[in-house]
Amino acid sequence: MDPDAARTARESLDLTFHMSNLLDTGLDRHTLSVLIALCDLGLNPEALAALVKELRREPHASSLPATSTAPSRLS
Amino acid sequence: MEEEDDQKVSDLIKELVLRLLSQNLTPDSRPIDPNSSDFRNSLRYAVRILSSRMTPSIAPDAAAIAESIKRRLATQGKSSEALTFAELFTKFASKSGPGSVNNKWAVLYLLKIIAEDRKASNAQLDSSLLLPNLALSDTELDNSSRVLRRLGTKEKGWSNGVLWVSKDPGNRLEIAFREFANLIKEENEVCEEVLVRDVLYACQGIDGKYVKFDKNADGYVLPDSVKVPRATRVMVRKLCELGWLFRKVKGYITESMDRFPAEDVGTVGQAFCAALQDELSEYYKLLAVLEGQSMNSIPLVLEKACSENYLSLRRLSVWFAEPTVKMRLMAVLVDKCRVLRGGAMAGAIHLHAQHGDPLVHDFMRRLLKRVCSPLFEMVRSWVLEGELEDIFAEYFIVGQPVKVESLWRDGYRLHAGMLPSFISQSLAQRILRTGKSINFLRVCCEDRGWADAATEAATAAGMTTRRGGLGYGETDSLETLVDEAAKRIDKHLLEVIYKQYKFKEHCLAIKRYLLLGQGDFVQYLMDIVGPELSEPANTISTFKLAGLLETAIRSSNAQYDDRDILDRLRVKMMPHETGDIGWDVFSLEYDARVPLDTVFTESVMAMYLIIFNFLWKLRRVEHALIGAWKIMKPNCITSHSFTKLQRAVKFQLLSTLRRCQVLWDGMNHFVTNLQYYIMFEVLEVSWSDFSSEMEVAKDLDDLLAAHEKYLHSIVEKSLLGESSQTLCKSLFVLFDLILRFRSHTDRLYEGICELQARTTESSLPSQDKSNSRRQLSDKASKPGSWIGDGRKALTQRASEFFRNMGQDLDAITKEYSSLLEGFLSQLPLQQHVDLKFLLFRLDFTEFYSSSVPSL
Repeated sequence: MDPDAARTARESLDLTFHMSNLLDTGLDRHTLSVLIALCDLGLNPEALAALVKELRREPHASSLPATSTAPSRLS
Repeated sequence: MEEEDDQKVSDLIKELVLRLLSQNLTPDSRPIDPNSSDFRNSLRYAVRILSSRMTPSIAPDAAAIAESIKRRLATQGKSSEALTFAELFTKFASKSGPGSVNNKWAVLYLLKIIAEDRKASNAQLDSSLLLPNLALSDTELDNSSRVLRRLGTKEKGWSNGVLWVSKDPGNRLEIAFREFANLIKEENEVCEEVLVRDVLYACQGIDGKYVKFDKNADGYVLPDSVKVPRATRVMVRKLCELGWLFRKVKGYITESMDRFPAEDVGTVGQAFCAALQDELSEYYKLLAVLEGQSMNSIPLVLEKACSENYLSLRRLSVWFAEPTVKMRLMAVLVDKCRVLRGGAMAGAIHLHAQHGDPLVHDFMRRLLKRVCSPLFEMVRSWVLEGELEDIFAEYFIVGQPVKVESLWRDGYRLHAGMLPSFISQSLAQRILRTGKSINFLRVCCEDRGWADAATEAATAAGMTTRRGGLGYGETDSLETLVDEAAKRIDKHLLEVIYKQYKFKEHCLAIKRYLLLGQGDFVQYLMDIVGPELSEPANTISTFKLAGLLETAIRSSNAQYDDRDILDRLRVKMMPHETGDIGWDVFSLEYDARVPLDTVFTESVMAMYLIIFNFLWKLRRVEHALIGAWKIMKPNCITSHSFTKLQRAVKFQLLSTLRRCQVLWDGMNHFVTNLQYYIMFEVLEVSWSDFSSEMEVAKDLDDLLAAHEKYLHSIVEKSLLGESSQTLCKSLFVLFDLILRFRSHTDRLYEGICELQARTTESSLPSQDKSNSRRQLSDKASKPGSWIGDGRKALTQRASEFFRNMGQDLDAITKEYSSLLEGFLSQLPLQQHVDLKFLLFRLDFTEFYSSSVPSL
């Protein structure tokens, strides 16, 4: 990428990071950049948001793969 | 490129999942292994989530999203942060070109939702612990329970007390709707389309398959046998109100149209029916369109709306809102106007038109324009042509067939019941007067000039004399038309009356002859008619009197008057009883022909007659007194007697004569002043008032009023009115007394003359003989000598005569003074201010008030 584009990209990321901090989303810069890239590629932002929410609750789900075949057992 | 993109996407997703999972790590757990099954499951799950929702649920508008974020920040009390965010967004949005974010809205939306989720999850109770998380296994459970539980677990969150529902992944909504449709099908026996069609029929007054007119309930209802939910039943009932109203209106129209041939319904009623039918045709158009739409099937809840419009009961209620208002108005009017007709109907409808709602106002205006057009047409033809064609008795002007002379006063009048409320009373009066004038001109004056005046008026008011110029709501233009017409026609009428029929001249002639204004004529008339009239009434011939009248006219200035006027003057003998002499029944009369007899009606001429009689009596008394004066002038006969008579007789003679003179003076003073008062202060003043009012009179009504006033003031001031009855009677008694005095004086002087003649006779043989009394003491002084007893008797008779005369005179004097006192004392009690002037004149030297302290 040429330096102008790079600069634009960096600045955009900075602004977006600042905005996301204002909104208290808890995303770090790297994750945010990945999300932005995915949005740009055309993915549905709602879906991405749902994904983020799901994976954030992983501490509970992380034990689930073990229970997936035995649904009666709850953690 | 696509594979590249896909590869990029999957790489990115992997990266994202890794990072997110890393974030969740507790400090003591091990780092994520990208190749673990956990990780792979998560990845699979992520991919599934991402692929399930392909289309976003909101519109891609970055600015709107930024706005909503800002607002949320502001409402949370973080206003400075909201401002900062706004700044950032503007900077972010301004970035474009390579390296910038293309889907800015997506990024913003993402941030928003993540923020909301986080907030929600932070505030959430640990319900997520309680509910089983079935995120990863979806194939075992069936659809419906999954719908319910999914709805329970993930989608409902309480965030600060507000229920937060988001769009669901999967088919849950559709499944719910399908269930709902099944439920509806079970509940309703009749499908909605059939009901809609039935309602449409009901709104045209026709019974549908299920919806029928129920006479007891007086409305269109679904009978209870049909199984529909209560809500639908109520809705059908409400929609069919329109049908009920329609029935009422249509019923009225058909009823009226049936009565048309019977000529029971007037033109206004017919116009009303026509206007209603026009409105109904609009209504039919609407119904036709709706019927076309009702053929389309109503989509059940799941199907998307098809391209054609369909019609459900709810949609029908929206469509029917406006027609219901109009139909209700029409029904109210129909109720009101069932028994009214003509102008009353128009007035009642006009009252309903005073409404603030513009829809109602316009509707009523249209209706009224149609309804009032026959009325306005009638007004126009009445005002411009004087035509009154009112077969159905709807108009507020009513004509009656009367004789020609009472055409003006009684021929036409206003019928207040038929006067619509938008035509004021004064306007109605003007309309009445204008048409009356035209008819008057046409019938009584046989004049055609009013037609020009009418066309002029019409052009001045800006409309033609043909039909259809006016409409409702143009009351001011109607007023202008009426005013213009009234002005011109009144002017024309007055011109005709003044010039062609010489109203003023006739009034003046009446004043001169009937009110005795032409002095020389009256004098001469009295002179020659006087002796005739002293005969008893039934011996007098009218013919002879008429001849005498002619003579009187010819010998006075009256002969130079217009022949037409003189022709109308006639002698009239009033109906008499026995014992009346000519004086009581004689009168003059003036023949006023059409059209002037609208002014000079029978009652008016009767009043003139009363005044004439009074004036004639007054004149007669004056004439008598003047006659007495002629006799009483000192002349050689009486002066002769002074020298020839004896002293005592002479003394008696002198005193009698003196008393006679004094009484005569008093009476003369009274009569002259009374005459002066009547002639100048009453008649002339009233006449000049009347003349000036005639100048400014604008129409015949004004003229009639002025003439009434003129007569009334004359009557009041000359003591002929109601309030002065006693005074009048005492006046007439006075007159009689004066006449008696006259005859008395005549006798006295006759006596003197006779005496004189006798004494002259007796003294002729001896020149210096004189009339002397019994006493012969003055023989030396008198050269003449008596002729024995004859003279003595003569003297005796003379003295007796004088004594009698003296006594009579005394009696008359006493009576006169008492009557006069009575008269004068009653005079100040009169109301009229001019009579005080009469008292002033009569009592100028305060002679009476000093002699009688009561005055």
